[in-house]
Amino acid sequence: MTKTINLTLKVWRQNGPKNKGRFDTYHAENISTDMSFLEMLDVVNDQLTIDGKEPIAFDHDCREGICGQCGCVVNGRPHGAEKGTTLCQLHMRHFDNGDTIAIEPFRAMAFNVIKDLAVDRSALDKIIQAGGYVSVNTGGAQDANAILVPQEVADLAMDAAQCIGCGACVASCPNASAMLFTSAKVSQLALLPQGKPEAAKRAINMVRTMDELGFGNCSNERECEAECPKEISITNIARLNREYFKAGFFS
Amino acid sequence: MALDAKIPGGPIAEKWDRHRFELKLVNPANKRKFNVIVVGTGLAGGSASATLAELGYNVKTFCIQDSPRRAHSIAAQGGINAAKNYPNDGDSIWRLFYDTVKGGDFRAREANVYRLAQVSNDIIDQCVAQGIPFARDYGGLLDNRSFGGAQVSRTFYARGQTGQQLLLGAYSALMRQVAAGKVQMFPRREMLDVVLVDGHAKGIVVRNMINGAVERHAADAVVLCTGGYGNVFFLSTNAMASNVTAAFRAYKKGAFFANPCFTQIHPTCIPVHGTFQSKLTLMSESLRNDGRVWVPKNPGDKRTPEQIPEADRDYYLENKYPSFGNLVPRDVASRNAKEQCDMGKGVGETGQAVYLDFADAIHRDGRDVIAKKYGNLFQMYEKITADDPYQTPMMIYPAIHYTMGGLWVDYNLMSNVPGLFVLGEANFSDHGANRLGASALMQGLADGYFVLPYTIGGYLAGTAKADVTTGHKAFDESEKQVTGRIDRLMSIDGKRTVDDFHKTLGRIMWEYCGMARNNEGLGMARGMIQELRAEFWENVRVPGNAADFNQSLERAGRVADFLEFGELMIVDALARQESCGGHFNERFETEEHEALRDDDNFCHAAAWEHSGDGREPEFHKEPLVFENVKLTQRSYK
Amino acid sequence: MNWITSTLGSSIGKKLLMAITGFSFCGFLAAHLAGNLTIYGGKDAFNGYAEHLHALGPLLTVAELVLLSFFLVHVITGLILYLQNLKARPVRYAVNKTAGGRTFGSATMPYTGALLLAFIVFHLLNFSFVDKTNTTIFNIVSSAFSSPVYVVIYILAMVVAAVHVSHGFWSTFQTVGANHPKYMPLIQTVGIAFAVVVGIGFGFLPIYIFLLA
Ligand SMILES: Cc1cc2nc3c(=O)[nH]c(=O)nc-3n(C[C@H](O)[C@H](O)[C@H](O)COP(=O)(O)OP(=O)(O)OC[C@H]3O[C@@H](n4cnc5c(N)ncnc54)[C@H](O)[C@@H]3O)c2cc1C
Ligand code: SF4
Ligand code: FES
Repeated sequence: MTKTINLTLKVWRQNGPKNKGRFDTYHAENISTDMSFLEMLDVVNDQLTIDGKEPIAFDHDCREGICGQCGCVVNGRPHGAEKGTTLCQLHMRHFDNGDTIAIEPFRAMAFNVIKDLAVDRSALDKIIQAGGYVSVNTGGAQDANAILVPQEVADLAMDAAQCIGCGACVASCPNASAMLFTSAKVSQLALLPQGKPEAAKRAINMVRTMDELGFGNCSNERECEAECPKEISITNIARLNREYFKAGFFS
Repeated sequence: MALDAKIPGGPIAEKWDRHRFELKLVNPANKRKFNVIVVGTGLAGGSASATLAELGYNVKTFCIQDSPRRAHSIAAQGGINAAKNYPNDGDSIWRLFYDTVKGGDFRAREANVYRLAQVSNDIIDQCVAQGIPFARDYGGLLDNRSFGGAQVSRTFYARGQTGQQLLLGAYSALMRQVAAGKVQMFPRREMLDVVLVDGHAKGIVVRNMINGAVERHAADAVVLCTGGYGNVFFLSTNAMASNVTAAFRAYKKGAFFANPCFTQIHPTCIPVHGTFQSKLTLMSESLRNDGRVWVPKNPGDKRTPEQIPEADRDYYLENKYPSFGNLVPRDVASRNAKEQCDMGKGVGETGQAVYLDFADAIHRDGRDVIAKKYGNLFQMYEKITADDPYQTPMMIYPAIHYTMGGLWVDYNLMSNVPGLFVLGEANFSDHGANRLGASALMQGLADGYFVLPYTIGGYLAGTAKADVTTGHKAFDESEKQVTGRIDRLMSIDGKRTVDDFHKTLGRIMWEYCGMARNNEGLGMARGMIQELRAEFWENVRVPGNAADFNQSLERAGRVADFLEFGELMIVDALARQESCGGHFNERFETEEHEALRDDDNFCHAAAWEHSGDGREPEFHKEPLVFENVKLTQRSYK
Repeated sequence: MNWITSTLGSSIGKKLLMAITGFSFCGFLAAHLAGNLTIYGGKDAFNGYAEHLHALGPLLTVAELVLLSFFLVHVITGLILYLQNLKARPVRYAVNKTAGGRTFGSATMPYTGALLLAFIVFHLLNFSFVDKTNTTIFNIVSSAFSSPVYVVIYILAMVVAAVHVSHGFWSTFQTVGANHPKYMPLIQTVGIAFAVVVGIGFGFLPIYIFLLA
């Protein structure tokens, strides 16, 4: 049932990457429980604008949990406390009247704050640039059905391929490691016949790039898996490890 | 002036081959001397950038999002069509071509559509080679499903995330070229103007969305892949940043805008439930393969769906269209939903919804089978509505989803401005007045992977190379204009927020230029938009700084363009005194309440030319000639 | 040789080093525990075990050197990881909650590790690097554990060791890539069981000796 609630927000405000940040307190009143978290922020921002203040900057685009552009840390949890949910899909019915909500940006050395809750996640693109592809030029591909892929393999690859590149794994990892993200792409391509020829090079280059970008080291804390909005499993990290050792020691 | 679409001669099946042969080629060694700007990284822009770079061109690619992987294409759920005929159910290039022309209510250009059907198969091959995990059957072959009004199973899919997987494929190809140094990627940039030198597109002016800097980029050609303008309605299934700005700026520089009033309403979206709502969520229409659409037989029946016995339910699509049933094309399904709700049979709190019921399918196939097909969609529905579709029927209502209109392009996908190419949803070419399901992804990738890479060569090889730098005075002028507009927006300091204006505009458009239109309403809406626009420029409040990350300013620029563009849509809708596909003028309907075309007077694409602010746009006509498909009244009975 | 350093020097390589050395400590703990159990056989059995061990001569030295080098690798790599991981998040969260992935063991690895390091030094000083000419190992042990302080220190240390192992054991499998949904639950159970055995097995010894004395 739809009802309305009042909330106190403690929001991280930071003017730019080099500025110092601080928490500001806002009151969000008459918030319908049917709203998404971002719609709640819209309402707060409208009020801030009318009051002559600067609205809170936060990234978002699709608002349906697939583009991976949204995300901040809500009461200590990236994308909030609901399992398998992006921030844009988090609805206010999961909060109670009178709650205080702390909202912070994703924090990692590899993710600079751009403004308030918006961070720079281009490091994730750089990891993909290091090898997250199959090297085929357009044209000249063989008939699609000439490559057989067993259904289970296609399913496993798809499980990994669902990653939306949101960076919540990094944000939730106590070590700010990007292993889940990296492993999802390595896994997808290592599983499929199309990705096999470059598997070794890919694993080594992507891991090396990930390390160079200043992400932390994975120590199997499993927070990423628990927090990932697409519920990507750490079996992918195990597969990445395998691929990496295979490549490092035997290729 | 009649527009020349430069359709090659010869039988339709040979046009593209012949054209490719006749196009001039750029010598491989010379390709690296050409710079190409691609704006947009959706399926169209991503695939075009990667392919151009593979060919050897120097590419600069721009997008609004923080990463090219997040373009709006990512949200497409259902699938992508191809004429592979893998299921052996009688599909062919010809049938895909025919279905698309007919589905578009005979307002698309035959030659383009045929080419689209031809290259559709190459797309699937290419995507599989990239490692896209399409659904497979037990034997390991690709699986197909029937989709959105097609009577053959020609849709390839990757769970409910086909757009995501296809986009990530194009993105990975793009990233490969970035790593190779052939593509320079500029994310978080918004294109605010096209720069013309001697009538040719030679560059763009963009705003760096992080620090507000206005930047200039020059090139030998500009390719716009900036998506659709559905957000003119405020509430739509489009991503929040989808806009008309890039296309509209090009329009203001002389590119013709074709068929702006052709917008598509998608029948299966989660209904609107509050004024705070920021967007609408689509439920893939693949759901209509197994879900049955119904409303209570009696208007005002307030019982819960479980309490309504079979006898009191009206499965109106199945009853009205026995052979297509729940799978009628989108425009038909949408209009029927509206009709039922207008009769007072709508359900839910607002009465603006119909049921989509899976009880029979679950009963027939078992919950597991249904969960495997639609699990993620059901989950998404439950997240948003807190209702469980396994237990109770979904509630759905039509919403704005896609825009068939766009910048006018010829057979080479070049606009009337030489050197300015337009791909994907941003152009107008392939879907006529209504797009069939799973064919936008096909078109985006066809344009980017397999059409533009050839046709742009024809332009570049056939035009004297003129090296233009960003120091050219055309850039000075353009930048001045762009900064002037930004400064003006910042200085108004009024009382209403940008979103407030956007919502008002959206309501006007939905009410008067939405699912059904009439001349009186359109006329009224035009006045309302003019007033709203005038108020906007006096009363909008854009907080913050121009030289900063400023999301209100970004939105203000887009809404300002929507406020002008909305009027253009209305002008176009008023000019088209017929009904066809997504454009339904209540004056023109058959006895069965279907769109009634007027082929004698309106079998054309309407292309509008900007003739100065405050002036009526100038009308140009591209007559559509149907040599291969006979014009018929669509019927899905 | 470059490939070795580059493979092992990466984040995954370091993890592998931690896993392999850590897992061999698990093996060492098992052997050590088995030996220590001879204490329940009485003074002679225990002394006999010690003599047998020393009779291995150079073999023992090699084993000790291997152990020592593994130890150094584990400690140094662990330290590097700790510092790098600290650096990877320069600004900490004001509110930090777990989503249920971390366990007490995993969250405290660096700290339990540091405590164990201190304990091992302490342990070696007490029982290894002592003058054993006029006495037997049994005497040393029983005199040490006649003090309740020692007993408490050892018990606490063994709890810490158990906590450390509770994460370390399954983690090794994950790190070397042996994570299969079919077997992982079993590995995790065995890991916890092993941690409990280590904790109780070692932890009960001082109590036993204390009571004996
Ligand atoms: C919810 C949903 C589901 C859909 N499902 C299907 C389906 O199942 N099958 C199907 O065939 N089609 C589907 N469609 C339609 C299809 O997704 C789109 O038509 C198609 O993806 C458009 O691709 P595009 O490359 O033309 O543009 P987009 O993907 O919209 O990309 C536009 C790009 O342009 C950039 N851009 C825009 N403006 C500017 C600017 N001013 N400056 C700089 N960059 C700019 C954006 O950043 C973005 O990168 C669906 C659409 C929606 C909304
Ligand atoms: S693995 Fe999960 S949490 Fe990490 S980027 Fe991908 S979707 Fe986000
Ligand atoms: S806004 Fe796209 S995932 Fe949240």
